[in-house]
Amino acid sequence: MKFHIIVCLKSVILSMSDKPIDRSPDSCELNPFDRPALETALRMKEKYGGIVTALSMGPENCMFALYEAMAMGVDQGVLVCDSAFAGADTLATSTTLAAAIKKLAPFDLVLFGTRTADSDTGQVGPQTAVLLDLQLVTGVQSIENHGSVIRVERSMDSFREKYEIFLPAALTIHPNSIQARDVGLIGIEVAFEDKEVKKWNLLDLGLSSDRVGEAGSSTRVNSVSRVDKERKCEILTGTNEDQIEELIRRLADSGLIG
Amino acid sequence: MDSFLSEKNRIVRQSVRAFCERELMPIAGEIDNEARFPWEVVEKMGKLCYFGIQVPRTLGGAGLDSVNYIILIEEISRACASIGLCVTVHNSVAVYPILAFGSEEQKRKWVPALAAGEKIGAFCLTEPNAGSDAAGIEATAIRDDGNHYVVNANKVFVTNGGIADICLFFVRTDPRAGRRGISVIVVERGTPGFVVGDLEDLCGMRANPVSSIRLYDCRVPKENLLGAEGAGLNIGLAALDTGRMGIAAQAVGIAQAALEEAVRYAKQRRQFGVAIAKHQAVQMMIADMATQLDAARLLVYRAAVLRDKGKPFSQASAMAKNYASETASKVTDMAVQIHGGYGYSKSYPVERYYRDARVTRIYEGTAEIHRMVIARNTLGI
Ligand SMILES: Cc1cc2nc3c(=O)[nH]c(=O)nc-3n(C[C@H](O)[C@H](O)[C@H](O)COP(=O)(O)OP(=O)(O)OC[C@H]3O[C@@H](n4cnc5c(N)ncnc54)[C@H](O)[C@@H]3O)c2cc1C
Repeated sequence: MKFHIIVCLKSVILSMSDKPIDRSPDSCELNPFDRPALETALRMKEKYGGIVTALSMGPENCMFALYEAMAMGVDQGVLVCDSAFAGADTLATSTTLAAAIKKLAPFDLVLFGTRTADSDTGQVGPQTAVLLDLQLVTGVQSIENHGSVIRVERSMDSFREKYEIFLPAALTIHPNSIQARDVGLIGIEVAFEDKEVKKWNLLDLGLSSDRVGEAGSSTRVNSVSRVDKERKCEILTGTNEDQIEELIRRLADSGLIG
Repeated sequence: MDSFLSEKNRIVRQSVRAFCERELMPIAGEIDNEARFPWEVVEKMGKLCYFGIQVPRTLGGAGLDSVNYIILIEEISRACASIGLCVTVHNSVAVYPILAFGSEEQKRKWVPALAAGEKIGAFCLTEPNAGSDAAGIEATAIRDDGNHYVVNANKVFVTNGGIADICLFFVRTDPRAGRRGISVIVVERGTPGFVVGDLEDLCGMRANPVSSIRLYDCRVPKENLLGAEGAGLNIGLAALDTGRMGIAAQAVGIAQAALEEAVRYAKQRRQFGVAIAKHQAVQMMIADMATQLDAARLLVYRAAVLRDKGKPFSQASAMAKNYASETASKVTDMAVQIHGGYGYSKSYPVERYYRDARVTRIYEGTAEIHRMVIARNTLGI
């Protein structure tokens, strides 16, 4: 059976700043938590055949994240891009992605990272799955294909859970489950010369403007301010053994090691 | 820094940088110290097509342009200049001349393995008695039975010499024809009579196996002649125009690494109650380093853009190489200065940058020869 796998990607801001940031390849990168999802999709394609589509919502200059995905082996990229999408919270983002995914049907799997490096809610995967009425497993470590069902494994609090789910389904992929491949130079050339990114706007998705972007968001950010953590440096004294003992005791006391 | 470049350029930079920061940067000090060539990393670079960046896709390369090529060399050299040297020499003065001057058969025979990094290329011009004066080489290739050349050569300072499989030898096919008697013959490692000398114990670029290679009555098929007999100097000059751009990019990469280290150190080191970055004398150095580095980088990009547009780029390439190599020397010197005594110690990488930068003013044409060429072009004499 050949798969059509859709991977949802975000380009995230590299470092927060007090000034508004223009999302561009200089200020952004492909969300590191999406890389394992991408790698999972590419391995499945290599093993079982099929195609992989990368889908991203963001401004035009986030296109590079899709090109990077295509350089890794993704077959096509879709950027949903419209000024109406600006200021979206996770619900409005999921609404937009769900509409794009429907337009990409038929598909077998929709993969997400577990969260993003710049907002860290972990909501977009699950919300999109609910909107599409898809079965969902989060934090997936491995996938086995058995025809119309797949068996997936996730681990939670030192328990391993196994699920068998029907396709189509949605999964969020655990960040430590797999190491993403390096981007090779041939891949980059092929991505830019032979592949293309489709651009869809509000009209293409058939959504009304009050369901997307800031208007379609159910949450509002009141304010964002920088928290500067006070760092302090302490120097332990005594023999090496004493210092090691003391360090271990302190780490254990503060709950950092168990 | 790259906002004026294309998305493709930026993805090339980001991916090469990510790879080199993970695989090369952490071992750069160690392999310099041990003078060890890191095959384990180079093999991975081969799979990512770093050894075939400008080779057409039909021959197994990536088919990228010169701007991407200099970004590649800059980024590798920022992590490890010795490997930057390996990749630039391979691409620009070994693979490129085969692509530009080789027959279809020669390209099909050698290029795919070179592009995949399965075979490494070398450029063998310099001899004990012929350095700057390339036309003074003494190596000879004499046709014997009509199907072979018998080649005798003593080539020194061959970058990649200890590991190279496919070597471009500059030889005299006609001893009486002077400059017009020089030809390029491709000699494969393993040909009887092909002897690799000891590795040079170098001041910098220590992870590159630079060595001498001697050919003793090596019988080489006549099909290995690149271009026509007597075309050697032209091939060499064309290769060096491209090669110099690569060396310039290498110098920029080294200087970039030195600037980053200097900035990091200046913010962290405290003297007289403040970070030394607050002292104006240190700030002046940082300002000069940043400005000269950018100027050098822009000269290199200009040369690459001209080459991609099919415009003459020889002068641009010579200026870029000359200025970038001088800049790398100055910037790494200032980085050592900002580190004080620690800069002179192997505990920090700047002393390596300082050593590595030095040779960029010597190889692929010394600073003096470059100025001579630039002056001649400028004066029109
Ligand atoms: C690490 C390393 C790697 C190298 N890799 C390669 C390689 O892969 N392949 C290869 O073929 N060679 C290679 N070389 C050799 C390099 O290209 C030569 O060292 C360089 O061309 C200078 O030649 P030389 O050392 O014989 O110096 P010389 O030519 O003897 O020069 C000595 C000095 O005299 C000056 N000088 C010479 N002639 C003139 C003139 N007409 N006017 C003014 N000044 C002049 C020079 O500028 C220099 O300052 C490498 C060298 C090194 C150190």
